[in-house]
Amino acid sequence: MTEAIGLVEAPAAAESTPRRGFIREVLFGQRAAVVGLVVLLFFVVIAIIGPWIEPYSTTTQVGPVYAPPSSQHWLGLDDGGIDMLSEVIAGARVSMIVGFAGAAVAMFIGGGVGLLSGYFGNKTDIFLMRITDYFLVIPDVPLMIVAAAVFGRSTLNVVLIIGIIYWTSTARLIRAQVKSVRERVYVKRARALGGGHGRLVWKHITPQVAPLLVANTVLTIAIAVFAETYIAFLGLEDPSTISWGKLIQNSLSGGAIFHKAWWAIIPPGLCVTIVILAATMMGQAMEDALNPRLRVGHLSVRRFRLRPLRGKLESE
Amino acid sequence: MSGADYLIKRTVFAIVTVFVAITLNFVLFRALPGNAVTGLRCGHCTKQFRESIVKQYGLDKPKLQQYFVYIERLVHGDLGTSTFDNRPVWEDIRGPLVNTLPMIVAGTVISILLGVMTGVIAAWRRGTVADTSNTWSALAFYAMPTQWIGILVVFYIAIPLGLPASGIESNTLGILSTPSTWAVFSDRVSHLFLPALVLGIGLYGEYALIVRSSMLETLGEDYVLTARAKGMRNWSIVWKHALRNAMLPLVTLIALSLGSIVAGAIVVEDVFSYPGIGLATIDALNRRDYPVLQGIFLILTLSVIIANFIADLVYFKLDPRVTE
Amino acid sequence: MSTRTPVLSVDGLEVWFDVPGGELHAVQGVAFDLFPGERMGLVGESGCGKTTTILALMGLLPPNASVAGRVLVEGEDALAKGEESMAPHRWRDVAMVFQGAMNAFNPVKTVGSQIVEPMELHGVSSGRAAWNQAAELLEMVGISGSRADRYPHEFSGGMRQRAAIAMALACNPKVLLADEPTTALDVMVQAQILELLVRLTEDLGLAMILVTHDLPVVAQVCRRAAVMYAGKVAESGPIETLYHDPRHPYTRMLFQATPDLHGDDEVTSIPGAPPRLDREVVGCPFQPRCDSAFARCPQEEPRLREVGDSHTAACHLNDVPAQVAG
Repeated sequence: MTEAIGLVEAPAAAESTPRRGFIREVLFGQRAAVVGLVVLLFFVVIAIIGPWIEPYSTTTQVGPVYAPPSSQHWLGLDDGGIDMLSEVIAGARVSMIVGFAGAAVAMFIGGGVGLLSGYFGNKTDIFLMRITDYFLVIPDVPLMIVAAAVFGRSTLNVVLIIGIIYWTSTARLIRAQVKSVRERVYVKRARALGGGHGRLVWKHITPQVAPLLVANTVLTIAIAVFAETYIAFLGLEDPSTISWGKLIQNSLSGGAIFHKAWWAIIPPGLCVTIVILAATMMGQAMEDALNPRLRVGHLSVRRFRLRPLRGKLESE
Repeated sequence: MSGADYLIKRTVFAIVTVFVAITLNFVLFRALPGNAVTGLRCGHCTKQFRESIVKQYGLDKPKLQQYFVYIERLVHGDLGTSTFDNRPVWEDIRGPLVNTLPMIVAGTVISILLGVMTGVIAAWRRGTVADTSNTWSALAFYAMPTQWIGILVVFYIAIPLGLPASGIESNTLGILSTPSTWAVFSDRVSHLFLPALVLGIGLYGEYALIVRSSMLETLGEDYVLTARAKGMRNWSIVWKHALRNAMLPLVTLIALSLGSIVAGAIVVEDVFSYPGIGLATIDALNRRDYPVLQGIFLILTLSVIIANFIADLVYFKLDPRVTE
Repeated sequence: MSTRTPVLSVDGLEVWFDVPGGELHAVQGVAFDLFPGERMGLVGESGCGKTTTILALMGLLPPNASVAGRVLVEGEDALAKGEESMAPHRWRDVAMVFQGAMNAFNPVKTVGSQIVEPMELHGVSSGRAAWNQAAELLEMVGISGSRADRYPHEFSGGMRQRAAIAMALACNPKVLLADEPTTALDVMVQAQILELLVRLTEDLGLAMILVTHDLPVVAQVCRRAAVMYAGKVAESGPIETLYHDPRHPYTRMLFQATPDLHGDDEVTSIPGAPPRLDREVVGCPFQPRCDSAFARCPQEEPRLREVGDSHTAACHLNDVPAQVAG
């Protein structure tokens, strides 16, 4: 999954007059954002109260290997005879932590770089953007593997790795925004009046940039959760923890396919997909609300309609 | 700046990035805990033996000197020696590389074709069922981890249909008689098919969404209205005017997603046990075969840099404004 | 008058737009005749329906639009069967230069190829001959023909506008619709473009409708003008008459609102805003802002009537006899 770039435009509810000249996709967007938020919160709650609601232990075998779902074990057992439902609930913890924390790290690095770059411009800008370019070109997988090998496998490191790999698009976005805000009249006025950089940034620039940063971070959460499954797949995570990515990996290495154990394959992947969808919908809707893309379409398959003449024509 | 300036600029950038990549590769691997020696499966090596290995790899020399030795070796095509099977790294990598290339190309082509088709349809038929279904499908596949897609495909499609889901050639090939070139070729292709398909499905979602977004924007441009005023038919406008403009962000996106393409290839090769560079990476990782890992990374990074450069050229060809 | 036949004859033109919450009646009955070589202005505030009117003349309305009326292009009703009957006339008989025509060109194709495009599409010309013609058209609008193989971003804004005009002429149309052709250009370039338009209509016998909110532009270029308000024609007639003897308060106030470089007249802007077009308007639509409104105005809608030599206006003031009504 590449970086958090603007992806989705919801299908239009209706086109409006050329007089106003824009199409508002708010209706769909707002609903999507709310649904996304609710779903995300749901999983956050699950992650938090996990230890209290896991029906069984995630380390002890409670039945035969790959036992199918039953009234006692709604999601059956995995390749170690461990209750799947408990594992999925436990997995939410690591996956959500990595998702949110990883996105937060990316937000700090990206936001910081973007701010410095956009605000100071000139040499700082060129320098930082050059670094960003190099970061972009170097593929993420080697970086992941080497970083894990050098710094060890722990959840913290996973969070850091994700932050370090995925900050670049945030940086670009924030840089553009900071640049445009900086050129606004009231900011120029404030600069002319004197006052340190710190105050200027805090009072004038941050309020304009923060909402966009938040929207972008939500989108980055989706990427972070995706990346976690990948890092788990490579075996670079703390072996004592459970995450959805790990569970997906287990289903492969544990031979779930040959045991026809769909209950070990589907739930973790489904959870990841749902969370990523929710974060994407929400983040995208937020971004759209902040940067509304006013759009008229000039082509359509349907045509304008004819109505019969009314009243008298002048020539009659 | 003129076209030539742009090309020079991008070439310089590519070259510099290559150097950065090589240096990074060197630095990171020398910083790894343990070194080639501990990577050796050498339970009862004598101290003497270890010291001779250290000498052989030049690990007792200062880091800067090691760097230059590394560069020099690279220039001669020497990527080191595998600690697993003691063969030159390049020989270990070459075969898998050849296996992976057609699979990655096929997968990327599938993803681009799928992405462009669904994206254009969704944009053209905006607001209709065609749009909604295409957009949501793209979103859904975008959200699914590629390895999960692979596992699902093996579970629900490959096995029930008896499609090859493992390796690169059938066990039964060549048992009774020497297989013809065609038989070998079609066998290879049949094994390549599912991994490439899964790779394509995993990637296409993002492309579709960008194409849709970009096409929607393009369809709102004045020159589209002008084309309509000139009397051009809708499909003609899309084909001759809109498509080229709408594709530009896609080229950029593909360049940016090369890392994802590589990552996806690694994943599908593992799921399908396809003996390519991805599987080689996983194996080297598990075996702590650092020289091979280092060699693979170098090759991967260089490929991505070169691919990026090609993307720059393609973009240049497509958009004359780039010289501004 | 003349016995010439109009090259464009519009009658009872109405346009509605489906919008969330109902319908917008953007054009409420527009009628006029346009003769060969004639330059007519269509003026009014933003949102009065002038752009929608000329878009309707070419059938370039979005799918949520419905149209009624007659649009006779050289005698043929182009609107009779909707898109089907409209399509053959596009560019061949009626061509358009859009608002912000700087963007009318596709940035990734050469200017020349885009001028050639309609020629080949409509079978007017093709290949080398078409390219030569395109170069000639560029020369005609004051651009060196050798620049035909350049890209739009290599032209300045004014040049692109001229190139857009050249492109509009590619298939020798009878009517040119120019929507705000000089907005966003600086004054010097504006003058050049207007001069060009005048020259072209005279040399080629081209009929032109110039849509703009900028009165001095209309005064410079057009002999006749129609003033639109709230989707209807408020007044129409020769420019001089509109200026010296306006028969609709809106026209009068419009001219007064325009700063006159030569005189010391006060600049009066018209307070208030035009009525919403998604509701039916009772009485005269201009009445709330009118300084001469009286009892009849909010009750009865004024019809467009002849008030002079090819001069029409829709205002009750023209019905009131000489003595002030008691």
